[in-house]
Amino acid sequence: MTCAEFQRELPEYLEGGAPQLRDHLNMCPSCSGLVASLESISREARQLQASEEPSPRVWNSIEIALRQEKLIREPRPRNTLVPSLFQRWGAMAWAVPVAAALLVVVGISLYQRPSSPTDARQRTAGNTPAVTAKFAGDPSDEQLLQEVSRRAPLMRDAYERNLKDVNDYIKDAQDSVNADPNDEEAQQALIDAYGQKSMIYEMALDRSLP
Amino acid sequence: MTEPRPGHSAGQSEAEAIDRAKQGDAQAFEFLYNLHKRRVYSLCLRMTANTAEAEDLTQEAFLQLFRKIGTFRGESAFSTWLHRMAVNVVLMHLRKKGLPVVSLEEATEGDEDTPKKDFGADDPVLSGSVDRLRLQNAVEQLPPGYRSIFVLHDIEGYEHNEIAAMVGCSIGNSKSQLHKARMKLREFLKTSRAEKAG
Repeated sequence: MTCAEFQRELPEYLEGGAPQLRDHLNMCPSCSGLVASLESISREARQLQASEEPSPRVWNSIEIALRQEKLIREPRPRNTLVPSLFQRWGAMAWAVPVAAALLVVVGISLYQRPSSPTDARQRTAGNTPAVTAKFAGDPSDEQLLQEVSRRAPLMRDAYERNLKDVNDYIKDAQDSVNADPNDEEAQQALIDAYGQKSMIYEMALDRSLP
Repeated sequence: MTEPRPGHSAGQSEAEAIDRAKQGDAQAFEFLYNLHKRRVYSLCLRMTANTAEAEDLTQEAFLQLFRKIGTFRGESAFSTWLHRMAVNVVLMHLRKKGLPVVSLEEATEGDEDTPKKDFGADDPVLSGSVDRLRLQNAVEQLPPGYRSIFVLHDIEGYEHNEIAAMVGCSIGNSKSQLHKARMKLREFLKTSRAEKAG
């Protein structure tokens, strides 16, 4: 058997077949060296399994998505939030009450229900600009992102994406409420949307950052 | 990170975590993630050779898993289920990008990519030792089609019949591609070693 013939059959030999090649291997240092090299590569390749670690942002993004999809259903532990908040965040400690305030304002505006559609449009026209103006281009978001950038730069992109998504969600929900203030599903969607935003703030402050 | 409780084996803790995750327990999800993140991420990284893509695909694989965790009955190992899901996520991603998951040709003759065959020359260079870091770099240089098969077989341990089913090729093609991948890696490693010595 020539080396050329041997190497044609080599793939099969390396898979445990072609036993007839063994005789050539025993006599040919070149082909024997080739087989040893290939077997060494295959053996060492296993060391590459599970050898790398993803950055913390991966879990952070997964957790946010799980909470948004309500696959995580347990209440978050609260006992770490208040004592640690001022110690770790100082000036940013305002962010959680702001998020809670967002929910209160939304709740108040939704529950001031009009008695007629005409009334509804008039009152919504009065309310909406104030509500919308208060939260459009929310400077709190930018401050939160600046703080995230400062403390955990790797997380910034994930938080920015999530804030953009939830702001879009808020806008869509707000538009639905504006179109029909009596639509209870739209009202609930708006409350849920602000709830998600509040959750993002809470996670950024309490959990995700060192 | 949630560590397994003292006195419990990793297997028992994983089963408990799966049950708690089905109930929506946040720590259970995190425990399962931490248990398997390296394997999934490493697979994604080896297949794509791109850190950002690998992280996105890791995220997608775990999210798909967690969304379906309520359907997991325990007939097979959880890790097997997760790993298959991760492989499918990566392969779909490669297909969407238009990258070859596997080369279609089966012939080993006349192929531009076929590494040169060595006839009659000694091959002492790689016998018995392959530097892991250099191997890692060499794998990243492989063409995507060769890389997929090599990663799935030699790194992740799938058999050719499994690979053929996953990537949609024949068993013979899978074997052929694997051999070419190894030969290509051998070339890269020899070149790299020669450069280092020179």
